[in-house]
Formats: sequence, C-alpha cells, structure tokens
Amino acid sequence: MIEQLKGKTELALSRQMRTPRTLDVEITARCNLRCRYCYFFNNPAVEYRELPTNEWLKFFAELGSLGVMNVALAGGEPFIREDLPELIDGIVRSRMRYSLLSNGSLISDEIAAFIASTGRCEYVQISVDGSSAEIHDSCRGKGSFEGAIRGIRTLQRQRINVAVRVTIHRNNVHDLANIAHMLLEELSLPSFSTNSAGYLGTCRLNADDILLNITEHQLATATLLHLAEKYPGRISANAGPFAEGQTWRRMEDARAQNAPAFPNGGRLTACGCPSNKISVRADGTIVPCSMLAHIELGHINQDSLLEIWQNSPSLNHLRNRQTIPLAGFEFCAGCAYIPYCTGNCPGLAYTLTGMVDHPSPDACLRRYLEEGGAIL
Amino acid sequence: MNQLDRPIANPIVVLREEFDDWAILFNPDTAAAVGINPVGVAVWKRMDGKKNLKEIVQEIKTGFEEVPEAVFEEITTFVDKLAETGYVGYELKDNPR
Repeated sequence: MIEQLKGKTELALSRQMRTPRTLDVEITARCNLRCRYCYFFNNPAVEYRELPTNEWLKFFAELGSLGVMNVALAGGEPFIREDLPELIDGIVRSRMRYSLLSNGSLISDEIAAFIASTGRCEYVQISVDGSSAEIHDSCRGKGSFEGAIRGIRTLQRQRINVAVRVTIHRNNVHDLANIAHMLLEELSLPSFSTNSAGYLGTCRLNADDILLNITEHQLATATLLHLAEKYPGRISANAGPFAEGQTWRRMEDARAQNAPAFPNGGRLTACGCPSNKISVRADGTIVPCSMLAHIELGHINQDSLLEIWQNSPSLNHLRNRQTIPLAGFEFCAGCAYIPYCTGNCPGLAYTLTGMVDHPSPDACLRRYLEEGGAIL
Repeated sequence: MNQLDRPIANPIVVLREEFDDWAILFNPDTAAAVGINPVGVAVWKRMDGKKNLKEIVQEIKTGFEEVPEAVFEEITTFVDKLAETGYVGYELKDNPR
C-alpha cells in the first residue's frame, strides 16, 4: 500500500504525469549583470517585462492546488526583486519547496536569514566561472566574482544548501583545477556541477569568443575526468564536456562491441523535461522550457496550467518528439552511433538548425570526432 | 494502536494524484515523499480525524472489490507506517482522569 519513491512508483512516474512535478519560473526580466554568454537575454522571441507580486502569488496558489512539488526561481537575477520574501511566502503557503538560481551578488544577510527560516529551500545555485576575479569577471563583469563569493559565504553562514554551477568557456577552460580547489577545499562546498556555454541568447552574439573549440572541449573533458578522480562524487554534469565525455565513452564502447541499442537510443529522446516540468517566462508566458522560450503555450492566470499540461498540442508534439527516428535525418546518415544517441538538447537544436524536431549538432559525437576530437 | 484512534492526515502533506489512481504523499517541510496505491489513496482521503480505523476500513470494504480478509491489519500497518514518518497524526479519545 505504501512504497518509497523507488521501484514501482518511480517507474510509473516515468510515464506522463497528471500535473507537472516541477516548474522553472523566471520571476524577473531584470539582472544587475550582463554576462557575455547569458542564455536569457537577447532572445528575439522573448518580451522582457515582468509581472507584479499579486500575479505570481495567484499563480503559486494554482500550482499548490495541482500538487506541484518544487519551483525553481530564476530570471534574470531573482534576488533583484524587492518582493522576493513575499513571493517565497506564497510558495511556502502553497505547500511547495523552492530553489533559486543566482549570480550571488545581491544576497544579503537579511534575505539569506529569511530563506533559512522557511525551511523549504532545496538550494541556492550560484554561478562561479573562475578561481579569480580576472577570469570570472571576464565574461560576467567587474565585481561579479567578489559578489558571487560573498553570496556563497552569506548562504553558508545561514546553513543554506549552496549549489555552484561552473559554466565552461574559452576564458576559464584552463582554470578548472583551480576552480575545483577553491570551491571544494577553500570554500568547503560538498560538490559543484558544470556545463558549458551554449549557442543561446547573448552567447550567440559572442560565440567566437565564448564557445569551446574541439581542442578546448577535449581539454575540459580530460581535466574534469581527472578532477572527478581526485574528488570522487563531488563533480557532476548533465550537459557540457564532463557529461559528454562520459556519455561518448559509453557510446563508443557500445559501438565497438556492437552492443544492442540503448533504451533511449536511436530517436529524439532528449531531454525528457516536458514529461515532468514546465517553464514560465518573466512576462507570464508558459513555455515548455526556458531553452524553448519561443514555443508559447499560454499565459498564467489566463489559461489553465492543467489544461495546457494535459492537452496542449504544442507540448504533446514536443513529447512525441521521442518517436522520431534519428535514421531519418540526413544529418545522421551513416552514423554508427545512432543506436546509442538521443539527438541531444532540443533547445540547442532549434538555435543551431532552426528546427526543434532535429538532432542538435552541439553534442554530436560523430561531428566531434570528424573535427579532430578524441574519446578519452 | 487503539482501534478507537482517529487518524488525521497531516495537513501540510500534499497528496499528489498520478495516473492509474496511484499517488505521492509529499511533505514539503522535510522533502520526504512516498508512493501509495489506490487503496492507500482512499484511506488517506478518509483520515479526517472524525472516522476511526474501523469505520475507514468498512468504507474501503464497501468501495473496493475483492478486498482481502486481512484488510484491517493491512490498513492498520499502512496508517502506523505513515504515523511513524509524520504523515499522519491521531486524535486520541479523552482519557478519564
């Protein structure tokens, strides 16, 4: 009659959920920084305006009634909102937990103490991209390193879980060992995660200066694999060089052994998010994901989230993307890795090819090898 | 457990109903969650502090087909487990002083 959320129930939850379990909510269109690879700004599909407090509170009450469990508050910079405590109160009242994605620089002792007092904060994620101001600030602006470290220390004083995200780019790819040392040893964080700058938003304007080339990608992968041995279980990634390095190794091993296809291989199965979460832009527009901000599904407090979640043709089309075989794409023609490939991020597929229903060239193993990369 | 005890679902706990009538009980204060089957969902919805376990079991017997003979013991175990983990409290009968 009762089961821990492993096994049967967890298996069942891999099917379509009745309501989303998690929401990513961009509560503001403002930010005190202008990072050179920000995915949020400079998206031509997005209207950069934000909603008043009461609109969000009404929406959070709707989420509570649907049994949503977690809300991730992002932006922009969420701590720039003067009414943040009021918004968090609304989440708590609606029996949900929350997390915050931040650059750290606006986190005061007062707001940190408030967050700690709620007992509902999963974590505050702070972006740290260098072990020094020179490297971190090169893409995020002067003073941002000091602000990020100050923010981390403020959160630590309040015993709030701090989740650091390191975005790898051309200016910090040689600094990864120093970053790991600073985060894990000097700041005593339990872990951190990595990704890499992607061809989205502002990054599209600075791609040549930001995005890793093949040599740098390989260097990042090698460094992170080494660091993962030095700091077991303390470095993770869902995307970027570290994740790709591990995935590509499994794909190559499977290909070499002529192994059966992976369960999620051979079709556009990445990334699975539309089956358990949904996003809201700062202007209240409901979208499948912040990486697919141009697919407008409705508007909060005007359209029923339940109706959108269960019946939106656009959302269901995105979910059915997983039935599209990679073998049908000219891009994949003749690729030996098809049985082991998921087609990768649909958001990057869209920004790179103009098509959502297309494999993304961004994390394509064959392309990486053809351009001189090696599997480590 | 006293059969006259009247279990109460912890009001902070969220019943997140999924497909096939399964559900998740989620405690946002602790982040703990468990999955419960359709009978568990029916029991959960009846734990209002007014019905005792006997009455809840009787309603389950009426509402479900092919209820096993040991249903009272199974539901008692279920409620006890939820109580141990803070999902459920009890409204106890007043003790004579």
